[in-house]
Amino acid sequence: MSALKTHPKVYWIWNHRMWCLEHIPEGPGQDAETIFGWKQKAWDRELFVVEKMLDADPRNFLAWDYRRYVLASMPVPRPESAELVYTSRKIGANFSNFSAWHQRSKTLASLWGQGKLNEEKSREQEFELLRNAMYTDPNDQSVWMYHRWLVGTDGSKELLNREIAAIQELLDEQPDSKWCLESIVHYKRLLLKNWVSGAEAGPLISDVKSLLHRLEQLDPARRRRYRDLAHELDDDGTRSKQ
Amino acid sequence: MDPSSSTSTTTSTSANTGAGTDKLLVEQHVAYIQKLGENKDDLTYHLTAHLRLNAVYWGFTALSILGRPDALDREEMIGFVMNCWDEEAGAFGAHPGHDAHLLSTLSAIQILVMQDAMERVDVERVVNFILSLQHPSGTFTGDRFGEQDTRFLYCAVNALSLLGRLDALDEGVLGEGVLGEEGVVDEEGVVDGEEEEKGKGRGEGREKGREKGKGKEKVVEYLQRCRNYDGGFGRKVGAESHSAQVFVCVAALAILDRLDVVDVDTLAFWLAERQLPNGGLNGRPEKLEDVCYSFWVLSALSILNKLSWIDEDKLTGFILSAQNAESGGIADRPGDMVDVFHTHFGIAGLSILGYPGLVDLDPVYCMPAHVIERRGLRKGWKALERRVG
Ligand SMILES: [Zn+2]
Repeated sequence: MSALKTHPKVYWIWNHRMWCLEHIPEGPGQDAETIFGWKQKAWDRELFVVEKMLDADPRNFLAWDYRRYVLASMPVPRPESAELVYTSRKIGANFSNFSAWHQRSKTLASLWGQGKLNEEKSREQEFELLRNAMYTDPNDQSVWMYHRWLVGTDGSKELLNREIAAIQELLDEQPDSKWCLESIVHYKRLLLKNWVSGAEAGPLISDVKSLLHRLEQLDPARRRRYRDLAHELDDDGTRSKQ
Repeated sequence: MDPSSSTSTTTSTSANTGAGTDKLLVEQHVAYIQKLGENKDDLTYHLTAHLRLNAVYWGFTALSILGRPDALDREEMIGFVMNCWDEEAGAFGAHPGHDAHLLSTLSAIQILVMQDAMERVDVERVVNFILSLQHPSGTFTGDRFGEQDTRFLYCAVNALSLLGRLDALDEGVLGEGVLGEEGVVDEEGVVDGEEEEKGKGRGEGREKGREKGKGKEKVVEYLQRCRNYDGGFGRKVGAESHSAQVFVCVAALAILDRLDVVDVDTLAFWLAERQLPNGGLNGRPEKLEDVCYSFWVLSALSILNKLSWIDEDKLTGFILSAQNAESGGIADRPGDMVDVFHTHFGIAGLSILGYPGLVDLDPVYCMPAHVIERRGLRKGWKALERRVG
């Protein structure tokens, strides 16, 4: 443990811990149940150690990797839903903890995939959580990246419009918020890609272009990306006219 | 901050007290690298023994990009590399007497290729060593005890390609059993619910080995499973995106001619967002800037042909401001201790940015471009045009 405190990013220390866990002695007991309990205790202690590490350094990716390894390897697996409680605690302590958002996205995807959680209901709860986070710090990109994951690339027209309206509300309060603008552009481009065409597309395209123009001024370091996106809209427009 | 090793033990000499400058201090950096090997009484010299061969690669590549490959003695360097040969394993350790490892094996091959001295290597033994470290899932460990990490996957693919033996992945040649039956930890996957049966993969499975003719496909499949919704890649399945891992995964896919696996627009957007207001690049959202990311992020952007999505002038300024005018060398950020790792990646970044007077760097292999071109290995990356100073 003291080695981890001084060099928490040295790979081999984590690796050595892993090796030790794989080779836990059978313990003092004779019967299967005692042996099992002995092993389980060692894994529980490991989870405790890694949580201490993440309290000290919440973004340590080696510690997060190690946590995933411990959770997947415990003789008695914890219910995955426990990870939702853990990540919401980490996120509650600091919205900028992208590592926790990342872990949360993986956990939810797994629970939804296995049908262990009502996807529709839980998605709405996540939008609620994000709403709070966005208003707390509209410049925190962790939150916006997670929002992008939650909406996905195949969100319905209704969902896209609803989220655009919600972000617009925040933008009205924070007119210089790059991430509000960037996100509205992203969702409007999705609308254009999947849902809107023909006469309806014209106003949307010019809307996105003026948003991109504002982004160029607000965020000059990435100006050429915004210009590339605007050109793409031109190209698409020309193509649909032909 | 230092994804490929522990920065805490990387060779460092003096604190960066000199104020930044707006010019690349070529002479000072050459002198700094030349002096690195001299002071063997220095404690840090011994502490960094496990990185020694990597450090030689970093120093020599930096000198080559500065246009001064002759600044270190060729014979001495080749002699040192060959002294790192681990006869039992059939590959290179980080230091004479150390066990073979993929990281040092790649460094050794890169140095020997740059020095045009490949005839000294028993290529087939090295190929067998590398293949013996591939797991049934497709990824690699760095040595027989090591952990799986996409960094090692890149080392394997890069080294095989430099050896002209990339096809060996598909030949179904089993290694010489460098990997024992025990001690190999197959620990991946976890929360994404589609993992192979747990426990089974541990330790065993190596001898069953790779399915014949499927080595490359397995590598690509594994990389695909490491891809996250932000377009980036992590160390293993389920892990968070990190720009150093983005570089290794994208470069490995480039070598395998499988960039179709990359979601270019999403990833390039994520990479461009690594640039902070001071011009420096970070490794993940909401983290600090660091000179070594100049290479990890830029190389990936260059391979994806999206270098224009960041501000090259601000980044150039940031790298230059992390130089130490007195001692030479570049630090992770202005005012910190310089080390050879950040010196190398700072100069590599400047080359990709078209800094005047530098030699072109191949971002896929992280070696001088002319060396890679000569071997017919050049991929379709684009760097910024070299400016005239
Ligand atoms: Zn660094």
